[in-house]
Amino acid sequence: MNLSTYKTASGFLLPSIHSAPPFFTQQPNTATQAGFTEQWTRLLLAYARHRRLFTLRLEDAEVPGGEWDEVLRNPRINRRLMPNHLAHVLDVMVSKDLAVYEPAKQMRAVLLYWRSPDEWADVLHEWATNTGQLNTILTFYEISDPPVPSALSGIPESLLRGAIAVLAKSGRAQLISISDGDGVRFFPPRTK
Amino acid sequence: MGGSQSTPKITAQDRAILDLKLQRDKLKQYQKKIQIILDREHEIAKQQLAAGHKDRALIALRRRKYQEGLLVKTDGQLESLEQLVSTIEFSLVEVSVLHGLKQGNAVLKEIHKELNVESVERLLEETAEAREYQREIDNMLTNNLSLDEEDAVQAELKELQQEALHAQRNEETPLSLPDAPTAEPVSSEQGVLRLILLLASLT
Repeated sequence: MNLSTYKTASGFLLPSIHSAPPFFTQQPNTATQAGFTEQWTRLLLAYARHRRLFTLRLEDAEVPGGEWDEVLRNPRINRRLMPNHLAHVLDVMVSKDLAVYEPAKQMRAVLLYWRSPDEWADVLHEWATNTGQLNTILTFYEISDPPVPSALSGIPESLLRGAIAVLAKSGRAQLISISDGDGVRFFPPRTK
Repeated sequence: MGGSQSTPKITAQDRAILDLKLQRDKLKQYQKKIQIILDREHEIAKQQLAAGHKDRALIALRRRKYQEGLLVKTDGQLESLEQLVSTIEFSLVEVSVLHGLKQGNAVLKEIHKELNVESVERLLEETAEAREYQREIDNMLTNNLSLDEEDAVQAELKELQQEALHAQRNEETPLSLPDAPTAEPVSSEQGVLRLILLLASLT
């Protein structure tokens, strides 16, 4: 058995455990499985961060051709992560606040927290400060789809709302709602 | 932490700006959609041409042309919207500058109220008066000594001067020290003899 790291087409370095066939199979031993789940969690979050992926669906494990193929499948050892195994990993991740079911009340898709809402709040505020957009009213679209890619490109609205809620609590942002949609205004941090 | 009381109120202006920006976003999204239609029509035309349906390809290209015209129009609209937003935001900056100037002016006025020419003059006059008064007091105090007392003071001064002079003179007079003997030391026998002679001469 040849265990080695592998560099994918997107430039992501897969750990050597990814080329171990048992890693893809749900283990009957709970301790072993807990270790594998931990490894999968880390792998999934790292890959999501690498490719800026925000959602992971059970469908990604069921049908090939998605964005997650490089991680969920290893054609070199002819293994893939089974949907029920992925469901177990996602369940653990949600229980550890590393992901949330999005939309709620279903268990087939999650929003991955490779940054927690608190961390996103800091990134968001830093971006607003560095681009000189404090005290300016911004639309969500402007933040998530800027003409020039930023650290916040493609951020899902629910994550953005969460981050804004965190900032609003400390008085660093204000949500403005009108009938046509929502906007946000950032403020410099208050020194106390 | 009560975050709400320090964040500014959302004014009608804010809402208007947000509304404009949302409209702008909609236009941008619309442009994205048209761009996708353009690409699709192009693809359709190519496929129809490949299949030998020249007229259908032509229709697709015509549709594409029409959408292109729309795209140009929305570009113009987008420009005017963005200009409007920029103008409003710039006006808000101007308003805040004006507000700053107003406040500065008010503060300056307040300061000048306390610092008018009259009060400065009055203050200088008062200072001069006070100095004059102080001088008078000084004079009075020096003149207060009676003649006798003045004499006593003068005498004391003289005494002090004398003492100083005396001390100086003492320092100047050199010490007279005995010279070292120049004669050869004599032996004890001769010495005793000479001592006896000396004693004898004294008595």
